Amino acid sequence: MKNCYEPIPMHIERVVIETSDASLKSFELTFNRKEDCEEFFSQYRPGQFCQLSIFGKGEAPIGIASAAWEGDFVRFTVQKMGKFTSAIHEMHAGDAIGMRGPLGNGFPLEEWEGMKLLIIGGGCAFSTLYAMTKHILHPAHRSDYADITALYGTRNSGLCLYKPVIEEWHNRNDIVVHQAVDVAEKDWKYHVGYVPAVLEELAPEPDNTVAVLCGPPVMTKFTIPVLTKLGFPPELIYTSLEKRMKCGVGHCGRCNIGHKYVCKDGPVFTLQELQRLPNEI
Amino acid sequence: MPAKWISKSDLKKLLAQWQKKHLVYAPMHNGHELAFQVVKDVEDMVLDGFLNTRYPAKSLFLPQSEALMKFDGILHSVETDEKEKIIFGLRACDAHALRLLDHALVDEQNPDEYWEKKRAAAVVITLGCNSPDETCFCTAVGGSPFNTAGSDAMLVEMGEEYLVYSISKKAEALFQDLPQADGSKTQNARKFMKGVETRMPGLFPKQELHDALMASFETDFWKAVSQSCLGCGVCTFLCPSCFCFDIVDETVRRERVRNWDSCMFRKYSLEASGHNPRPTKIERTRQRVMHKFAYWVDLIDEMGCTGCGRCVRYCPVNIDIRAIATEALHREFEGMKK
Repeated sequence: MKNCYEPIPMHIERVVIETSDASLKSFELTFNRKEDCEEFFSQYRPGQFCQLSIFGKGEAPIGIASAAWEGDFVRFTVQKMGKFTSAIHEMHAGDAIGMRGPLGNGFPLEEWEGMKLLIIGGGCAFSTLYAMTKHILHPAHRSDYADITALYGTRNSGLCLYKPVIEEWHNRNDIVVHQAVDVAEKDWKYHVGYVPAVLEELAPEPDNTVAVLCGPPVMTKFTIPVLTKLGFPPELIYTSLEKRMKCGVGHCGRCNIGHKYVCKDGPVFTLQELQRLPNEI
Repeated sequence: MPAKWISKSDLKKLLAQWQKKHLVYAPMHNGHELAFQVVKDVEDMVLDGFLNTRYPAKSLFLPQSEALMKFDGILHSVETDEKEKIIFGLRACDAHALRLLDHALVDEQNPDEYWEKKRAAAVVITLGCNSPDETCFCTAVGGSPFNTAGSDAMLVEMGEEYLVYSISKKAEALFQDLPQADGSKTQNARKFMKGVETRMPGLFPKQELHDALMASFETDFWKAVSQSCLGCGVCTFLCPSCFCFDIVDETVRRERVRNWDSCMFRKYSLEASGHNPRPTKIERTRQRVMHKFAYWVDLIDEMGCTGCGRCVRYCPVNIDIRAIATEALHREFEGMKK
């Protein structure tokens, strides 16, 4: 019997400082044992997360920011916030770390085949959307979907994640990328304003379109009404939620919203599902 | 249900026999309280004149603190080699709760081996509850003082003897040498049990209560209900069906440990960003009550409370979950289905 609380032994392969203030770093982890790697990638779907584990500092649930095709590693973009994330920010390539996962449901990519995708991200919550977009843009998957539009907002350009890749997306013809910063900056070529306002201005058509939304709670709160006004039905608005978590597998109790556990039944929910649950996000 | 019977003196002899081969746990005084302990001398067992142990029997399966991992450079699972054991003398409410906890913790995809191994290694023998207390309400939540859910066997004290109802094969084997109870013994017992049950409170209307609570969610009902709460968490710690736990690292012992946790605590749901979906005792009290009477019903169509009454008996400010449920049923919340 596999113990669901036992972390997979991993090590850090590469650390990337993502933002100009170094508050966000990406950690690419590789597997110490080949069989763990195979098992992980037989299960992983974009939108899932892992519990990262440092003995003495505990565990923290972090979304997966890499697509499977990128290689035998798993990327996590971590904002320095508390005890665990401060500890991982001090770690370097070669350091040992534990990982449990993949956990959670992930995005239902098969259900979206043949549809247009509107991807809306804000701040560091963009990480799992990044993994999903990378997955979809792969030549083996791109033709499964119609037009793809991404809107990514950050407080300023220095806080934008994955800059080289997003820069490359601007030059592709199979995705339309809109970027926004909260206030105007010198040499900024894209939108200025909060995500809900920019979305309203862009006014994407809702026909045959899935909207996938990940951002800080305040962005989500104000973006959902804009999507609704644009005509997106609640069953086609998806969002990924965060909660304090411990076990990650629906046993320890704390991440519930009504009778659903965000760790096990989520983190991805449709607006329709959330409307049927108590309002406790 | 067919039954066997055993005299009180023979029961002690039988327990002494089991004790040679198995670990036997039974209620005993430990100097502070009545608690399940390993029986060394059957004369120490408390088998009558008690209401219930202070800690529910869940603590034998989900201990208040339990090491999950050992650290020696990487984390390894702690060996969970569970010895066969007999848990004797728990009440029907606590046995019923074990079955509820199975719903929460038995998981094919992500098995909790600590829980499952302990459950598989245990024979649960319940002692029917002849004299429920004023704070008991098992009958209000779908149970009874003689409910056999979660039990391998149940004994009912009838004067100087016990009637023995075996439910599982494991229990049948333990009681195989006992004589069958004749028709008059079983009839008397049935009459007696019925009598005890009828003096207990009536069943909460499960769906109605669920709907009322769901409608109450964003109302100030919870403000009034939670006003006197001190947030001590005793209601959840002593609850037989509460299972929430925290996972923490004990660096000196080099162990990763799970400890009981409580939705009544602020940090329980506090997120790294500072956001807390349950920032005050209003939301936390609501969570405790709604988990029992609304969310469990959504999940398995049963209430997640077994009516043991501990949260009522031990609350330092006399918050009474029965009164909260009754009050919710009598209120008319906006948007309620009629």
